[in-house]
Amino acid sequence: MSTVSIRHISKAFGKNMVLNDFNETFQDGEFITLLGPSGCGKTTMLRIIAGFEKPTGGELYINDQLVSGGKTFLPPEKREIGMVFQSYAVWPHMNVFDNVAYPLRIQKQDKNQIRDAVNRVLETVHLTQYADRLPSQLSGGQQQRVALARALVASPKLMLLDEPLSNLDAKLRESMRFEIKEIQRKTGITVVYVTHDQTEAMAMSDRIFLINRGVVQQSGTPREIYNHPVSPFVADFLGKVDFFRGEAGSGKIIFPAMAGQAVSYDGSITGKAIAAIRPENLYLSEDGPLSGKLEKLYYLGDVNDCRIQIGDTLVRVTVPGYLLDTLQTGQDVRLQIRNLMVFPDDGQLEQDLSIRT
Amino acid sequence: MDTQKSKASLITKTGLAACLLLGLVFIFLGIRGRQKLSSEALSTEESYQAIYALSGDLSAAWNDSLSADLESLGAEARKPLEEKASALLKETWESREAGAGERAERIGAENAGTLWKMLYVSALVNGPKTSSAVRKSVIALPADSRSALRRQLLLCMGDESLPAPEILGDALEGLTGSERQAALLQWLVTASGGTEDPVSEHVRALKKSVRDKKSLLTAFEMCARGELSWLWMLIISNASTVILVGAVLILDVVLLAALMAADRRWVFNVKWGIILLIIDFLLLFQVLPVFYMGFRGLFPEGTFSLDTLRRLFSYSLNAEALKNTLIAGFSTMILGTLIAFPLAWLVGRTNLYGKKFFRSLFIMTYMVPPYVGAMAWLRLMNPNVGTVNLVLRSLFGLGGTSGPLNVYTLPGLIWVLTTFYYPYAFITISRAMEKMDPSLEEAGRISGASPLKTLFTVTLPMMLPSLIAGALLVFIAAASCYGIPSIIGTPGNVSTVTTRIMEYVSMGQQSMNDAIGLALFLMIVALVILFISDVVLARRQYITVSGKSVQPALVDLRRWRIPLTVGVGLFAVVMVVIPFATILSTSLKVDLGKSLLVPGNFTIANWTSVFSRAETLSCLKNSLIYASVTATVGLIISCVMGYLLQRTRIRGRSIPNFLITLGSGTPSVVIALGLIMTMRGSFGINIYNTAYILIIAYLIKYLMMGMRTVVSAMSQIHVSLEESSQVSGAGWLTTMLKITGPLIFPSIAAGWFLIFIPSFYELSMTTLLYTSTTKTIGFQLYEYWTFTSQPMSCAMAFGILLIVILLNFVLNRLTKGKFSI
Repeated sequence: MSTVSIRHISKAFGKNMVLNDFNETFQDGEFITLLGPSGCGKTTMLRIIAGFEKPTGGELYINDQLVSGGKTFLPPEKREIGMVFQSYAVWPHMNVFDNVAYPLRIQKQDKNQIRDAVNRVLETVHLTQYADRLPSQLSGGQQQRVALARALVASPKLMLLDEPLSNLDAKLRESMRFEIKEIQRKTGITVVYVTHDQTEAMAMSDRIFLINRGVVQQSGTPREIYNHPVSPFVADFLGKVDFFRGEAGSGKIIFPAMAGQAVSYDGSITGKAIAAIRPENLYLSEDGPLSGKLEKLYYLGDVNDCRIQIGDTLVRVTVPGYLLDTLQTGQDVRLQIRNLMVFPDDGQLEQDLSIRT
Repeated sequence: MDTQKSKASLITKTGLAACLLLGLVFIFLGIRGRQKLSSEALSTEESYQAIYALSGDLSAAWNDSLSADLESLGAEARKPLEEKASALLKETWESREAGAGERAERIGAENAGTLWKMLYVSALVNGPKTSSAVRKSVIALPADSRSALRRQLLLCMGDESLPAPEILGDALEGLTGSERQAALLQWLVTASGGTEDPVSEHVRALKKSVRDKKSLLTAFEMCARGELSWLWMLIISNASTVILVGAVLILDVVLLAALMAADRRWVFNVKWGIILLIIDFLLLFQVLPVFYMGFRGLFPEGTFSLDTLRRLFSYSLNAEALKNTLIAGFSTMILGTLIAFPLAWLVGRTNLYGKKFFRSLFIMTYMVPPYVGAMAWLRLMNPNVGTVNLVLRSLFGLGGTSGPLNVYTLPGLIWVLTTFYYPYAFITISRAMEKMDPSLEEAGRISGASPLKTLFTVTLPMMLPSLIAGALLVFIAAASCYGIPSIIGTPGNVSTVTTRIMEYVSMGQQSMNDAIGLALFLMIVALVILFISDVVLARRQYITVSGKSVQPALVDLRRWRIPLTVGVGLFAVVMVVIPFATILSTSLKVDLGKSLLVPGNFTIANWTSVFSRAETLSCLKNSLIYASVTATVGLIISCVMGYLLQRTRIRGRSIPNFLITLGSGTPSVVIALGLIMTMRGSFGINIYNTAYILIIAYLIKYLMMGMRTVVSAMSQIHVSLEESSQVSGAGWLTTMLKITGPLIFPSIAAGWFLIFIPSFYELSMTTLLYTSTTKTIGFQLYEYWTFTSQPMSCAMAFGILLIVILLNFVLNRLTKGKFSI
């Protein structure tokens, strides 16, 4: 059983507060992603779980055992965690086998046992024939798999991954993504995964924790977070989104900048509001509430990226690629909305979004 | 297009062939000249006379103040004087070689100035001895009365009836005619010179110049006899140089042809010209001397013999020195590495307090002249009066007047060597530690290894190549050190290879073979080590620099944090503070045996007397000039090399790089010894006893320090920065001045100082290569320590230290804190 309970953890480097009151529990077998812009504190949280950083305040429990908090501090080597580092951290002076066998040798396991375990895990990561190679003879992806094998070999209940794919090229990243997910599924291990890549987070996670400025902005399944962001920041960080200022009330939102056009809205927010619309949630429809003019058209293959002028506002819409022939710049179109996200307008929108790096 | 290409290649090939031919012609002419010379060679005795015919050399020896005196006499008074002089010269020459007098007369009639010079030389070489008491009183005269004395002496020479100047007392008693005139002339010289014995000093210089210029003199003689044309004279008198030029030319042509052939393009590139110039310089002043030394070692009498090498082991003095050197080098290496590794780890990888401060403190030791440290430890651990011994004796109630520690022993030597050379290992190891990706260690921790286990299974094995490289650096530095063994070993009779080499060299020609044998041994050890660390280990250096710079996680020392900080602090006190404080306090003492706190024992007299002496100041001036010239020339070469290595793909660019690395790995004494043997004329270059030989020696030893700094700075500037400047429309030069220059300026400044500082206080090469006029501050300090007074030399040592610290401060400011040494 491996749960991670984080109780009001804070961390400051000098006066710089990098984590503020982190309070969550990661369940056994969950694939957790800590997502956020760089410098948001996600890596610090991971390193606190690993035991490489001491929190300034709060407690950390792994499997209900206090590992950090008050006077208690369990050093990393006692926490029985597997970890994959961003730079792989594969030891250059040992070959693949020795790298992977290291954790077991530290445990002073029997030689045959070690050999079997290492071979098994090397098979899992498809490196069996590379056992005798030195890391310098491996590609980046292979080194990454060595690191993964080393983290898995001692069958930890908890594995931490710190932006493990950020140094790989796009194709490899995609296949590794599924390999890691597959391994997690097979072993049932709890995974805490740190990344700034939202696609990675969406593809792999059971739950995503979106962090900004040391504070968890929202947590939930990828679907929840994507479709029901709690703030413009979250909406903006995941996927594409456009924001429009409007006036909510009596079943609709009026957009002054769209020449006063309105869409229906039955949510609880009234008065000044911000509507967040993802381009894929708009579609061309004869009886749509918004009317405008197709200003620009970019053919991207799978989709057409359209810009539609509504009043003084330019709205982004993605339209299926096969519709290219039916579209012509300059034509009048009407738009229908599939999913509208509305936030109260506190006048801080631009400031909130500018934090993204 | 193709025909144009083949035409260009034809022109290049023709040019190469012409140069080759020219080189051969030079060699041929040189050899012919040599043959002529040997068939007509004069004996040294004859050459003494021939020198009179050489106005150039005479001018060099001539004292300018005498010309002024002669001028001031006026033509009227000079006339009888010149007649007398001419007669005197004729008489002198005639007495030594029949017929020579006539020649003297002829020369004298042609040029009065030359006449005086010849007479002067003649009087110097053959003149009677002068009384030292009178000499002292003459020198003690103030400048204006000395000038009056010289006039008086000149008048006396012209008119025998005039009484001798009073100050000479009875020095001229009983001398008449030419004897009296020769004596008067000598007094004239004495009255003009500032040193104790200007006459014999001049004589020494003259004799040397005769020795050096023998072939020139011979040629001149032959030419004067009408046996040679001026061209042949020129060739004969410079036969060796002509051969050398020819050989260098041929070598360059061959090299150039090889480079072009490898390129398959027969087009001359100007960069090759630059590379060849650097290569030529290094070949002449670095490779030739060392090779010649090797040759002399294996062919002592012109035929192959292992005698020189056999003597290394069979002659007990040599064997002893060899043994001591190996033991000292090895122990220093072990001890130094044992100190350096934990220190580098604590300072680089843990949360020790005051890491930055300790770091710069330990690295600064690197820039302190080793002999200064030796002096300090000598004061501290002198068996009788050393401070440490006094404290230990009173602390433990030990009786006696000496011990328990004695610095004048092999262990003492090892200790002092360690205190000064562990920074070499410290710097190498901590550089590698800093480069190491911290997650490599963290991966060990998360795999279940304790910090200590991680240290031994991850950190240490990965550091091993750097560790060994650092250790070897300590070994070779300690084994080839001269400053420390000369100060500690010599009084304690612990001789090392370097101190023995110096002794053999000072004994003269007959012991040269022993010096060569020892130097060869040292050279071979250095070469082996250079090979191991630059070839074998370099291949095993793990590239562990992480892509993204992570804030390195420091090992939390927890409850050990304070004790370890205190420990490192104590270490710093012992290694740095106490020695320097000892130097300072010694320099301020009246009575060495008493504490500085005893009333009346404090004085600044040592400082004022040292730094007001003209000799100290002139040595200081020499050092500053030589070091500045070395650093500037070295930096120009460094920048050229930095550009060639980092910005071009020109073939052959790594040859100078290789030679420069080799040069810096060559032990100082070997460089100096090689230069002594080859640079006194027999190979066509004669820079012996000049400042050039010192500067060249410094360059060869320290050039790499500058080059490495500039090259690594260049490698860190991405070429796209330069390219974007060029795209913006700037030319190559503008780009270099506006983009590259400013970006690497801190490194250029650092490179300059890195060459300047060791050249400034250099001792071992200077000891072999200096002359009375090219003494440097390092050697002056050594002389003071050995022959004059310890407090005074401590004042000088601390002065040098202050200059080094000041320079370090300037460097830090200049590079905005990026560099300090």
